[in-house]
Amino acid sequence: MLEYRAYEEIERYLNGQMAAEERAGFEALLRTDARLAEQVREHRQMLQALKAFGQRQDLRQQLNTIHSQMEVEQQPATPNGWKVFWNRHRQTVAVAASVSLLSVFGTLWSVQQMKAPVQQQTARYVELRREVERLKKAQTAIINGINDASKPATPRPAAFSGTGFAISSDGYVVTSSHVVEGADSIMIENKAGSKYKVTEVYRDEIHDLSILKVTEDTFEGFGKLPYTFKDTESELGEKVFTLGYPREDIVFGEGSLSSSSGFEGDTTAYQISIPLNPGNSGGPLLDDRGNLIGVISGKQAGQEGAAFAIKSAYLMQLINELAITGQVQPLILPKNNTLSAQNRPQQLKKLKEYVFVVKVYN
Amino acid sequence: MKKSLYETDEAVIEGIRRSDERALAHLYKLYFPMISHFILNNSGTDDEAKDIYQEGVIVFYEKIRDNSLELTCQIKTYLYSVCRRLWLKRLAEKGRFATKLDDSDSFVPVEDDTLQHEEQERQFGVMGDALEQLGEPCRSLIEDYYIRMQNMQDITDKFGYTNTDTAKNQKYKCLQRLKKIFFATYKPEV
Repeated sequence: MLEYRAYEEIERYLNGQMAAEERAGFEALLRTDARLAEQVREHRQMLQALKAFGQRQDLRQQLNTIHSQMEVEQQPATPNGWKVFWNRHRQTVAVAASVSLLSVFGTLWSVQQMKAPVQQQTARYVELRREVERLKKAQTAIINGINDASKPATPRPAAFSGTGFAISSDGYVVTSSHVVEGADSIMIENKAGSKYKVTEVYRDEIHDLSILKVTEDTFEGFGKLPYTFKDTESELGEKVFTLGYPREDIVFGEGSLSSSSGFEGDTTAYQISIPLNPGNSGGPLLDDRGNLIGVISGKQAGQEGAAFAIKSAYLMQLINELAITGQVQPLILPKNNTLSAQNRPQQLKKLKEYVFVVKVYN
Repeated sequence: MKKSLYETDEAVIEGIRRSDERALAHLYKLYFPMISHFILNNSGTDDEAKDIYQEGVIVFYEKIRDNSLELTCQIKTYLYSVCRRLWLKRLAEKGRFATKLDDSDSFVPVEDDTLQHEEQERQFGVMGDALEQLGEPCRSLIEDYYIRMQNMQDITDKFGYTNTDTAKNQKYKCLQRLKKIFFATYKPEV
């Protein structure tokens, strides 16, 4: 009970509740009684710690309240897990993403690089039919004609033109089938100025060949053809030449047989190194000795010196088929080659009578 | 609440001295994003950010209340420096040594302040444990009397003692035990 009393005293002293005399007495006691002094010191520290502890707890409580208030004020919390994950690993993620992007685009790019040559291979095949440029003028001419009916109607020029050549003396002519495609009427004309009206008697679209026949009553035949047809393959590197009508006048072109297959490996055609232009289609391809070895058909767009001609073997095949169908009498093909011993200008002089410009009207 | 009331650092400090809760709330909300950003950027979590920030605010708040702070920089810089210091310490405790902190602000040396704070924290930790060990009803009795400063009569009524003397006697016994537990583990280092 004594200690309990002492406690009361100590607390009253610490709280400053003692009267002045009592206080002085207590302090005097403290100076002499070391044990009491120690107790007072401990008690004081204890109470201070308790008080501070209480204050700190209150403060924490207050801060927590403020914090939760703040969280309510802010937007509904974003998914925390992701945010933390992102903050911790965003560098790694960035590196991973850039590596994968790099490899994806790198692969795409290199695939593109490898594909580039292939793309060239798939370039367009151009048929060498000539669209006559005066078409537009013709149309205005017609409109004028309508406006002014008193004027006599002017003859319409051809819409397309190509080249053709005779295959027999009794009026059969060969040209490319794309030249005469969609034709209403067809006229042929050679360098000497002989004009004939012809009709298409047979067409083979697969090999791009058409056979035309002169239909005029007054027609008396082309005369003896100077060239023969070769039904075997010609050798690589052989000198070849052609005649054609890429413009109003006949044009000679020379080169060599540069490949035994045509566009995209087409074995029915040769590749030849003769510069060709629209209008050359259907022209004859002859070798040095004046044998007919092919029919000009087209060239590859965007590729230098790559022109194609249908092999004469397929022309022969076509002629045979024609006879079998019974639509026409069997053709009498020329048997003697009168060109073989001659030089080029003389060959051409003879040849050009049998090479025609094919004019297509529609 | 008008924000303009606490626009300057001086106004905030003045508010805290006047025990104005709104000043504290304003201060707390103002700088939390900055510290949160800093902690999250240096491999911390949201909870750790909150923890560290509250420590920082407590250091500042108590220094202001004690009038023991001579602020030579902005509150913002002071808070950042304290939180930075505390976070470095926390990282070291976790065994993760930050070789390079991603600093978003300048900072001032605050080692003394944080050391003092840590000592206090230690003391409070011991006190909390001691109170925990004390058990009921001693704990409530002590808290009510010494922390909440309730008078003896109220306590007598609340705990259902027959008279204040019994309560006082009980309180004395409890305090005696608390003292024993407390000083058994706590040795002041300062």
